[in-house]
Amino acid sequence: MLKIDQLHAHYGLAHVLQGVSLTADAGEVIGLFGRNGVGKTTFFKTIAGWLRPTDGSVTLDGETLTGHSPDAMNRAGVAIVPEDRRIFPGLSVEENLVLGLMGRKGGSSKSHLDTVYDRFPRLAERRKQAGNTLSGGEQQMLAMARVMVAEPRVVLIDEPSEGLAPMIVAEVFAIIREMREAGTIVLLVEQNVHEAISLCDRFMVLERGQAILTGEGDDDDDRKRLLDVLAV
Amino acid sequence: MPDLISYLQFVLAPQMLNGLALGVSVILVALGLTIIFGLLDVINMSHGEFYAVGAFGALALSALGFNYWVLIALVPILMIPIGVLTERFLIRRVYDGGDRHVSTLLLTFGLGMIAEDLLKIVFGPNTHRPENPLPGATEVLGVFIPTYRLFLIAIGAVVIVAVALVVYRTRLGAMVRAAAFDRNMAASLGVRVGWVYSGAFAFGVALAGLAGVLLAPIYSVFPTMGHDFILMAFTVVIVGGMGSIWGAVIAGVLLTQIQAISSLVISPVWADPIVFGVMVLVLMFRPQGIFGRIGHA
Repeated sequence: MLKIDQLHAHYGLAHVLQGVSLTADAGEVIGLFGRNGVGKTTFFKTIAGWLRPTDGSVTLDGETLTGHSPDAMNRAGVAIVPEDRRIFPGLSVEENLVLGLMGRKGGSSKSHLDTVYDRFPRLAERRKQAGNTLSGGEQQMLAMARVMVAEPRVVLIDEPSEGLAPMIVAEVFAIIREMREAGTIVLLVEQNVHEAISLCDRFMVLERGQAILTGEGDDDDDRKRLLDVLAV
Repeated sequence: MPDLISYLQFVLAPQMLNGLALGVSVILVALGLTIIFGLLDVINMSHGEFYAVGAFGALALSALGFNYWVLIALVPILMIPIGVLTERFLIRRVYDGGDRHVSTLLLTFGLGMIAEDLLKIVFGPNTHRPENPLPGATEVLGVFIPTYRLFLIAIGAVVIVAVALVVYRTRLGAMVRAAAFDRNMAASLGVRVGWVYSGAFAFGVALAGLAGVLLAPIYSVFPTMGHDFILMAFTVVIVGGMGSIWGAVIAGVLLTQIQAISSLVISPVWADPIVFGVMVLVLMFRPQGIFGRIGHA
């Protein structure tokens, strides 16, 4: 179980996260919604170790991970697919995936890449191409495949549908469903609330660094409240 | 026509070969500099002194009876811990605080001054001339070229290709390029960025040390020897593109050939201003240099 308790984070004097708490069990997808600048991405960066929390704790299956470095978080099983995908432009598709394999427990081999290529044949076709030559959709697939190859316990996915065609968005959401079926905890930040809520077991709305609403993804009343709060 | 052939064979060709030997020497120094800049974003002002430390290290070890050919491997290996300690205990302490460029530049500048003075204290201010391990000349296309310079060109080419293979064809190289582009993302994929930084800095320092060993028999060994090459090495790195390995190689060959050939037609004292003029033009019209930075497309 992932447990985030009263997480606080600052950018200089700006108190961006003001005590956000959340729990998630294996195989749960938790949606994080809210307008731009309310702290969703900062929440992910703090969990992933990119930003040191000023207070609060992060634990995964009882192991305290608070303030760990990004590579230590990776070894603990926490992966991130950031908003802008962060594909390494000077590395080929395969090199991007090979780096993803580094986080895999119990060793890694090229055969693990074959599994990924079976799932993402488009990436197999482009394995020798540089990351920056891929389309936006292909880059998103690569960003997701790059973390999936390590079979993490928790995946933080930030705005995966941004700038993508509807068909690609459907594919991205299908991948998130596969992650859930594999028992992965998925925390999902998504502006496309109508589409994303159907994917979420639970959700949380952030406002000025605080959770102002939580609910169940399949509860009609909670959904209505969510849409009211977000005015969408 | 025979005059032209004689000019090409006996004047231009030897001059270009000498230029190539100098080019390889400069590239060896510039490679470490550009790797350290490309990955750590650190302008290492002490790089010339690491080069001098390598040369003096070879001098001291050869006095202890070590064979020159052993020193080519041994000195770079001994430079690795020096690089790791420098990165861990000095560079890293100022790396994330305030203005990284200014603080690391000043820190490495100070470190270079200390290293230079230590070399003066330990070895004295005078010039040392190590024995040439390959004396004599070899005939190439009817022209006699100093054998050691030919060896230098050959080993330099091997080192350059080896460095390029490590950086562009191995998983370690992929880690380095990834960390150079985006340290957080690389770390979130499991790359131990701290180790990569230490390793890359040490690798750069080891390359400087190797350059020191290889160039000592040609250029002599003295405490301020780092100054001679570091200016040219910085020029090569700027023209080639800060952090670009192929940029350093191409700019190194290009600039030293410009220097060598221009010395034939104008006074050699104007060769350096021409080279630095090229650098100024590059900074004016293509400030990123010929190639992009390591890890970037």
